Amino acid sequence: MSAGLAPSPAADAVAAGRARRGRWLRRYGLAATGGAIVLAWILVAIFATALAPWPYEQVDVTRRLLPPSAENWLGTDLLGRDVFSRLLVGARISLVAGIVVVVVGGLVGTLIGGIAAYAGGRAEEWMMRATDLVMCFPPIILAMAIAAALGIGVTNTILAMLVVWWPKFARLARSLVLVQRNQEYVEAAHVLGFGPARILFRHIVPNAVGPLVVLLTLDVGTAILTFAGLNFLGLGVIPPTPEWGQMVSEGRELVEQWWVATFPGIAILSVVIGFNFLGDGIRDWLDPKSRRR
Amino acid sequence: MFRYLTLRLASMAVMAVLATLIVFLIATQVPADPVLAQLGDLQSADKELVAAYRRKWGLDLPIWQQYLLFLKGLSQGDLGQSISTHRPVLEDIRQYAPATIELATVSFLLAIAISIPLGVLAAVKRDTPVDHLARLVSLIGVSAPTFWLAFIMLAVFYGGLQVAPGPGRLDVTALPPPSWSGLLLVDSARAGQWDTFHDAAAHLVLPSIVLAASIVGLLTRTVRASMLEALAQDYVRVARAKGLRETAIVVRHALPNALVPVVTLGGIAYAILLTGAVMTETIFSWPGLGRYTFRSAIALDFPGIMGITLVVAVVYLVVNLLVDLSYALIDPRVVRR
Amino acid sequence: MMMEQILLSRRLMLAGAAATGALAASGGAAAQGRKSVLVIGMDISDGRNYDPGRMADYSPPLTNGNVYETLVTQSPGDYVNVKPMLATKWERVNGGKSWRFTLRQGVKFWDGSPFTADDVKFSLDRLVNLKDQPGVYASNLEAVQVVDASTVDLVMKDPNSPLLINCAAPAFAIYSRKLVSANGGVSDASANTADKATQYLNSSSAGTAAYRMVSWERNTAVTLVRNEHWWGGKAPFERVVIRHIADGAAQLLAVRRGDIDAAFNLTAEQLASLRGDANVRLESTVSLDYVYMTLTGNAEFNPALAKREARQAVAHAIDYDGIINGLVGGFAVRPPSFLPIGAAGTTEAFTKEFGYRQDLDKAKAFLQQAGLPNGFEFDLSITNAAIVGTNYQVIAQKVQSDLARVGIKANLKPLDPVNLRTQYNGGRTTSVITFWNPPSPETDLWASASIERVAKRVGWDVPQPMRDLVKAAAAEQDQARQIALYKQYQQQLVDNAHYLILLQPIYRIAVRNTLKNFNVTAAGWYVEMEQVEPA
Repeated sequence: MSAGLAPSPAADAVAAGRARRGRWLRRYGLAATGGAIVLAWILVAIFATALAPWPYEQVDVTRRLLPPSAENWLGTDLLGRDVFSRLLVGARISLVAGIVVVVVGGLVGTLIGGIAAYAGGRAEEWMMRATDLVMCFPPIILAMAIAAALGIGVTNTILAMLVVWWPKFARLARSLVLVQRNQEYVEAAHVLGFGPARILFRHIVPNAVGPLVVLLTLDVGTAILTFAGLNFLGLGVIPPTPEWGQMVSEGRELVEQWWVATFPGIAILSVVIGFNFLGDGIRDWLDPKSRRR
Repeated sequence: MFRYLTLRLASMAVMAVLATLIVFLIATQVPADPVLAQLGDLQSADKELVAAYRRKWGLDLPIWQQYLLFLKGLSQGDLGQSISTHRPVLEDIRQYAPATIELATVSFLLAIAISIPLGVLAAVKRDTPVDHLARLVSLIGVSAPTFWLAFIMLAVFYGGLQVAPGPGRLDVTALPPPSWSGLLLVDSARAGQWDTFHDAAAHLVLPSIVLAASIVGLLTRTVRASMLEALAQDYVRVARAKGLRETAIVVRHALPNALVPVVTLGGIAYAILLTGAVMTETIFSWPGLGRYTFRSAIALDFPGIMGITLVVAVVYLVVNLLVDLSYALIDPRVVRR
Repeated sequence: MMMEQILLSRRLMLAGAAATGALAASGGAAAQGRKSVLVIGMDISDGRNYDPGRMADYSPPLTNGNVYETLVTQSPGDYVNVKPMLATKWERVNGGKSWRFTLRQGVKFWDGSPFTADDVKFSLDRLVNLKDQPGVYASNLEAVQVVDASTVDLVMKDPNSPLLINCAAPAFAIYSRKLVSANGGVSDASANTADKATQYLNSSSAGTAAYRMVSWERNTAVTLVRNEHWWGGKAPFERVVIRHIADGAAQLLAVRRGDIDAAFNLTAEQLASLRGDANVRLESTVSLDYVYMTLTGNAEFNPALAKREARQAVAHAIDYDGIINGLVGGFAVRPPSFLPIGAAGTTEAFTKEFGYRQDLDKAKAFLQQAGLPNGFEFDLSITNAAIVGTNYQVIAQKVQSDLARVGIKANLKPLDPVNLRTQYNGGRTTSVITFWNPPSPETDLWASASIERVAKRVGWDVPQPMRDLVKAAAAEQDQARQIALYKQYQQQLVDNAHYLILLQPIYRIAVRNTLKNFNVTAAGWYVEMEQVEPA
């Protein structure tokens, strides 16, 4: 009989499946959302010019500062250019800059920190002091000084960011490698006669990679924020190339025409949230302590 | 320990000076002539006047000599005179520092007031909606660009709803208190000028929310993580077995132990607030060190730039030292051989 | 050195405390006597010196032009004629080599001491001998001779070079020899090393005007009080506070709410938003400043621009009206060339007659003539700074898009302000958009600049006839003939197309209707404060 008192195995399986999905959603929902956002923006960046309804550099002062409408979804800026189109194209610069800085800075920093930790002694000491020195630099001053010496432009801004970006990776890598270095398996490998490079790359690195990846992902958001900030201050892209931070700067005084500064900021916010959710999720996934018992 | 400390302090001093050297070297590579920025158009064509100005600022000396002069002045506590404000840099810093200190401190306290309870709650009620909400709030706070958040705050609360005062530390009509510490809250309370106190506090609300938002995320996550660790410790299990109330366990046993890493991170966060509030200060017209940094940088004001670099370097190095010291105290594995 | 600085700063702090103490004492009175205080909102963060002999920034003249008086002055809008101020009569003497000024009787400084020719000599000697920035405007001043207590001669180096209009500039402020020398002021040849009065003058004025300065708190406010001894009667306000408000939006709200009576730094959008407000009106005046674009003639920098026709093509491709109406809300005028409207009889009629205007076909024709039918490229240097409520970058992007329509590609080269000035002043830029801000409406200041130092910057080898024309115009004493000569000069400038004037701003100040007679002037001190009174 169908209206039985005992639950059937089929219903059981369905319920169990639903519970599993619920658990998965609770644990990785945020990370998945983050990943989706990041993916969406990457696609936007790649197909920006095709998706943009107007040419991003088209100036028309008779149509300046128009509020969002059917023609201009996010309104127009003070030169009459379509905010939405500029937003889409701006994704390219921001994403590329953020990723480049983190990847290059991360690689350089990790190498320096890892080698320092493995080498130990005086070399480690000097490398860490160098890290300290760079970290205590006001990044704004450095960026402006480099811009003044070498000229304003995206490349120089990325360069300035790279100079101050590698230390945190160096520090993290060093502490990770330090912990690993003192583990027993390393001692064992040493006794067995394995060379330091082999120990480093085949044993220490795989164990240290997790937290590094987490930092890398989380850091892209920070890099995009910093890059936008420097653009806001007038360093970075050369007009008329659009960039979100620079668009916010253009609309800074325009409280009544709020759309000029608000939407680029929302774009930055969403990209950074995406990377932060994603990185956070990866961290949870890797960290056994935060796994539910 | 004592020897370690002295060595660290000595190396700190060296590094602070090195930082200024690096900035100085970069600044000298800049092809611009800062004297021209200070002179009008007709004046810049007057060779005698330009030469007189150059001599006055020591810019006609060779580079290494200029730096030596800076070092010499530094040893006597003189940071030189700012080219753009025509005042001693030390005086400029003394004037602008209190505004930044006040803002950073209030923001930091606000952030702590939010993140500790939030983090504890998130840890205790782990994996519940409260925990997820806390995580969401933290992540969003950290993700918003400061300059944009400042603009939104002003546009909504000041321009739109008109419930908050505008940019600046005080209202146009407010009476500034006699200057004692430079911190308006302290000075106006001391003078009994409660109207001014109220006004200064009102002006602090929006910028401190913006600054606090940038560190709340980090602090909350740290509190949560270290609370989780503390709650997993054996002594907590023992306390539970003994039948102590949960709240007492959390607040009196777990929390104090959990706070140690938070303190170290908090120190770094405070240092960041002190030295990096350029965006917020610019948008809120806050007359602090961040804005002074930016203006010195724009004007290629070498003495100003180096003065700020020194201050920032010292703040960071001191905080780093304290952090490292506390690491050494907590985690014996990381102590150097 | 350190002790001195500590003492110095403590003294300044105490002085500040005393001033605020004084303010606090009168604070109660001010609360109910708000009508007796005139509050002006302005960004005064650029002010570094209020000593008339050293003043070189944009905002101090608002104060100095109203706490000091000069021998002669100019009415708002008329920058050709001078009218009496501390002098009632002036004439050329000594074969035309000197100007003899007859001084006004019964004038006193704020401390009650009488104004005499000695004070004129002291002030102007100090201006020259301090050898600081404002001294450059007295370059034609050879000596100051006291004839008697109420007559003074200003001897010129070159009688054909101008001096009279410069005498109206805030740099030529007359201050009290007694007060300033008592505070370390020196006016003889040793002044540039021996003078110590700047600190005093930065916190207290020593003039004869309707108001006097009593405090300057950096980045906070400048406070003026009524001068009880003013020869012109009683100034309408007891106090004037020039309040530092850096942010235009803050000024907007403050003027709406009545926290300030006038706002100086509002953008076009902010001013537009005041349109419906019954409490606030806009006072405007055509300024004597302009935003201009240079085009080099140096073939090494850009072979295309070295051709006059190519420059003409650029000049005829720019949408000037679009810039003025679109970017600055219509609040600007446009002169034909380097002389602004208002100087030497220049009017907009001249611009219509022989100035540039957007004509894309003409531009293309010029390109053909230059042998560049497909256009060309050049670098345009700019800085990221706000100018008359808009930003150089915004103006440059508009120009860029205009030029693109005829095939000319302008590559923007943003620089920080210091680098820009260094490169521009050093003659290393191909093209620049920047600002010209004259300290005094003396026509020769523009004319000689355009054929001397600015011409060097654009690589223009000025032909001798042109130089002679400028010299002749400067020496011409008949006004009508002078205007005709300067018109000729402008026509030649337009022909050579090295300087393209994009806009000459009309400065608008938001003023509450609680005030009347808020007469704005372009002559350097912004507003005639002694005429402003409660409505």
